Amino acid sequence: MLHLAHVTKYYGKNLANDDISFQVEGGQIAILLGPNGAGKSTIIKCIAGLLRFQGEITIGGFGNKTTEAKRLLAYIPETPAVYDMLTVSEHLEFIRRAYRLEDDGYGEQLLERFELADKRDKLGRDLSKGMQQKLSICCGLVHRPKLIIFDEPMVGLDPHAIKELKTLFREQKEAGAALLISTHMIDSVEDYWDVTHIMVKGRFAATQYNRPEELQAQSLEDLFFAITEGGQEA
Amino acid sequence: MTSPLIYLSLSRLKNAIRDLFRKPARLIYVVFLVALFVLAVGGSQSGPPPEAYRDPREMVAMATALFLFIFLYMVWNGFSKGGTIFSLSDVNLIFPSPIGRTRALFYGLFRQIGTVLLVGIFLFYQYGWLHNLYNITVGTMAVIFLCYCAAVFLGQVTAMTIYAFTSSSEGAQRVLKILIVVLGLLELAWLCWGMWNAPENRLAGLIQAAVSLPVELFPVAGWLGWTFAGWLGMGLWWPGLLLCAAFLALLVFLLTHFPRDWYEDVLRTAELAQSAIAAKKEGSMEAVPGKVRVGAIGMKGGWGASAFYYKHKIENRRGGWLLLPPITLIFAVVLIVFAFFMRAGGIIPVFALAVYLQLFTAGTSRINRELYKPFVYLVPEPPFAKLLQCLRELFPSALAEAVVVFVPVGLILQMSPWGIVVCVFARISYAFLFQSGNLLLERFWSGASKALILFLYFLILILLTLPGILLAIFLVAFVGFPGGVVTGLLLAGLVNVPVALLLFYLLRNMLQYAEYTH
Repeated sequence: MLHLAHVTKYYGKNLANDDISFQVEGGQIAILLGPNGAGKSTIIKCIAGLLRFQGEITIGGFGNKTTEAKRLLAYIPETPAVYDMLTVSEHLEFIRRAYRLEDDGYGEQLLERFELADKRDKLGRDLSKGMQQKLSICCGLVHRPKLIIFDEPMVGLDPHAIKELKTLFREQKEAGAALLISTHMIDSVEDYWDVTHIMVKGRFAATQYNRPEELQAQSLEDLFFAITEGGQEA
Repeated sequence: MTSPLIYLSLSRLKNAIRDLFRKPARLIYVVFLVALFVLAVGGSQSGPPPEAYRDPREMVAMATALFLFIFLYMVWNGFSKGGTIFSLSDVNLIFPSPIGRTRALFYGLFRQIGTVLLVGIFLFYQYGWLHNLYNITVGTMAVIFLCYCAAVFLGQVTAMTIYAFTSSSEGAQRVLKILIVVLGLLELAWLCWGMWNAPENRLAGLIQAAVSLPVELFPVAGWLGWTFAGWLGMGLWWPGLLLCAAFLALLVFLLTHFPRDWYEDVLRTAELAQSAIAAKKEGSMEAVPGKVRVGAIGMKGGWGASAFYYKHKIENRRGGWLLLPPITLIFAVVLIVFAFFMRAGGIIPVFALAVYLQLFTAGTSRINRELYKPFVYLVPEPPFAKLLQCLRELFPSALAEAVVVFVPVGLILQMSPWGIVVCVFARISYAFLFQSGNLLLERFWSGASKALILFLYFLILILLTLPGILLAIFLVAFVGFPGGVVTGLLLAGLVNVPVALLLFYLLRNMLQYAEYTH
C-alpha cells in the first residue's frame, strides 16, 4: 500500500531524512520509533504530501501527491488540526462533502466511539486539546482510508480514548488497512505492531519485526536504548 | 544582588536586541521601516508649503477620537477578557514565586510600556499628510504617539482592574457598562449639540465641541486630548496629564491595596492570550477569546472542492463578519473621515491611503488561514479547483469593502456615479492583486522568518501595483487619455486583474507542491 524509495528531505541545509526506504502493506501496522528530533514527523509529512522531498513515495501504486493517492490516505497530525469556527458535526460533514461521500452514519459512529456525540454542536475552539485530538482522528477516519498515518497519536488523549484508539488500530488492521504510527513512547506501542523502524538522526538505525524469535533475542526496548544510548546499529 | 524582575527585564531586552543583529532579515526590516519613515518626513517637506494650513483644532479632535476609540475598545474588552499585561510564562514563573504582588504588578506594567511603544510606531507614518495639512513638527508627532501609548497603556490597566473587580459579579459589570454607555452617549449628544448650534458651518461646530471642556473631561481619552491641545498652545497641558497620572495611581492602589486576588483573573487572561498566540502560529488567526454565536448548524452545500467555499461562509458568519472583518470596517471609517478632511485634494490621496491600508488587511482572507491547516492539501481534489474555491469568498467581501468605502467617499467628494463605479472596480482589482501576492509569498517563503516575510510582503505587493500605476500615469499624463484621474484608476484596475489572474494561474499547483511547514 505504501512504498518509499530513497526519500531524502532537507530543510535548507539541514538534513532531516536521509535516504529512507520502506514499505507498509495492507493489514500491517508499522511503527516509527525514535527520540525527539529523529525525523519521524518529517517523513510522515513527506508521505502525506505536505513537504517536498527527493525520492519516490507511492500510495496504492499512485504518486503520493496525486488525487488518487489522497483519496486512500488519512493523516492525523500531532497537533490537532481543527477549525475554530466549525462545530464537531460540521467537521465531519465538511470532510464527507470534500471527499464526495454520502452520509452513511459512519461519522456518527465515530463520534459515539470517541465520546464526542454529546459535543457535536460545540465549536472546535471550545474543545479541550484532548477532544480536539479525538475530533482530528474522527476526521481522518470518516472517509474510510486504506492508509492511515498517525503522528504521535496518544499525546493528549485520556485513558478511554487511548484504549479505544488501540482497539481501532487492530480493527483497521483486520479490515486490511495499512497503518503507520510515529511515536517516541515505547510503552504506547505494546504488542499490536508488525514492524518497527527505529529512527535516529533522520535515518533508520534498525528495523525489528514482531516475531517471537527476534523479540527473544532482544526486546524492542533493549534494542531502542542500545541504539539511542549505546550507538549500536542493527 | 540584582532583583530577579530587573534581571528578567534586562535579559529579555538584551536578548531581543541581540536577536535583531543575529537575524539580518529582521535588521533589514527595521532599517526598511526607518527608511520609510525618513521618506515620509522628507517627502512631506519637499513640496512648496500651501497658502494656508488647516485649523489645528481639527487635529486635536481627530487625535481625541483615536484615543477614545482605543481606550474604550480596551476597557470594553476588560469585561469579558481582562487586560493582558502578563504573558503565560510570567504567570507560571513569577506568580508562584515569593515575589510580592505589588512588585509583580509593576513589572507587568513596565513590560507593557515596551509593548505599547512598539504598537504605536505606525502613527509616525501619518506624519506626511498631517504635516502638509496642519504644519505639525516631528515633536508634535511624538506627542501624539506618546498620548496614544498612554491611551493603550491606561486602557489595559483599566481593563485589568475592571476584570479583577467585576468578573465575579454580573450586577457590577452591568452597572459599569451602563455608566460607560451613558458617558459615551452624553459625549455624543454634546457633539451633536455643537453641530446643531452652528448651522452655517456644522464641521466647525463639531470641532469646537470636540475640543471643549465636556470632552476634555472624558476619562483618559479626553484628558489626553486636553494634554495634546495644551502642547499645541490651546490652553494648559498639565491638567490632563495630572488627571491621567492620578487615574493610574488610583488603579494601582485598587489593585494592590484591596484584598482582591487578581492573580486568578490574570491567569485566565494569560491562558486565553497564549491560546490565541498558539492558534495564530497554527493558522487559526481569529482564535481570539470571546463569545461566538453558533447559529444554524450544518453546511448548506459544497461537494468536492466547493466544500471549502461553504465552510468559509459558515466561518465568516461565526467570525462576526458582516461580509467584512472588523478591522476592515475600522479602516473604512478612517477613510471616510480622511476623505471628509481631504475633500479639496480629490480622490487620489483617499485612494492611495485606501490601497495603503489594504496592504494590512489583504492577508485576512480565509485562504490565508486555510494554508495553515493540512486539510486543503489532503482533500483529493485538483489543486487549482481547491485554490479557486478558496478564493471564491474574496469577491463578495472585496465588493462589499469597496462599496462601503467608495460610495460614501464618492458622495463626499461629489464624484459622478461612473467615477464611484470605477473606484469600486479598482479597489476590487487591488484586493485580488494583493491576494495573489500573498499566495506567492506563501508558496515560496512560507518557512522564512517573520521579519523576512513582512519585508517581502510589502516589497512584493508594492511591486505588483507598479504595472498598473505606471501604465495609468503613462497613458493619462503623457499620451493624454481623456477622463483624468478616473481613467487612470480604471486603467490601473484593468492591468491589475490580468496580473492577479496570471499569478493565480502560475500558482495553480501550490496546494499540491506546497511546503507545509506550519
